[in-house]
Amino acid sequence: MHDVAVDAEELREQVRHKYREVAAAPHRSFHFHTGRPLAARLGYDPAVVDALPDRAVESFAGVGNPFSLRPLQPGERVVDVGSGAGFDSLVAAAQVGEAGGVVGVDMTREMLEKAAETVAGLGAAHVAFREGLAEALPVEDGWADAVISNGVINLCADKQAVFAEIRRVLRPGGWLQFADIANGRPVPPEALRDIDLWTG
Amino acid sequence: MGFVDLEVGPPADTFGGAAGEDKARAYEVFGYAFLARKPG
Repeated sequence: MHDVAVDAEELREQVRHKYREVAAAPHRSFHFHTGRPLAARLGYDPAVVDALPDRAVESFAGVGNPFSLRPLQPGERVVDVGSGAGFDSLVAAAQVGEAGGVVGVDMTREMLEKAAETVAGLGAAHVAFREGLAEALPVEDGWADAVISNGVINLCADKQAVFAEIRRVLRPGGWLQFADIANGRPVPPEALRDIDLWTG
Repeated sequence: MGFVDLEVGPPADTFGGAAGEDKARAYEVFGYAFLARKPG
């Protein structure tokens, strides 16, 4: 564990609590946008989003577009860190095709169940979801051609551990393409230690 | 961090119009796409 501002497990529990709500009741009001309006705001390809069923999109709560700087290539193997209800994993699956593969990793059981049911309904056999932490990905060394993530790393207390783990699962020459928030003005130290502000 | 060829995309107004907009504006928080490559 590196020097971190908040207790990692306490933060994880708050994040789980928040994203259980996003899985179960995606249309209620959160401090962030969700679903199809958010995907449009972030510049996702409308044709790809329109092709997905509502349950694959409604719990999407990303902060950017991890495919905007580099589309995935057919046949690539991809890990989605913090895959939630599976929206970005399914966008990735469409890009890599059936010759590729996508493994989504999430720590919130309700999100994993929703994602697995959606993928089963779509018959997307090249997409799988696994329970795990960003700091301990259940993926073998060097498996991935690309790692994607969206709005997740900012919610992890130990970011050095997350990036080290992403590096471990990438093959040499593999791509990290993620979206996340960044602040232009410094956040006061007392605010950094206020765990409620991390998720709210 | 052990990555090379870092690229950052333009800012996205992720929280505009959402309940969290005021806090986001206070600290100039935006969403960004990041791209980097593992050497090798």
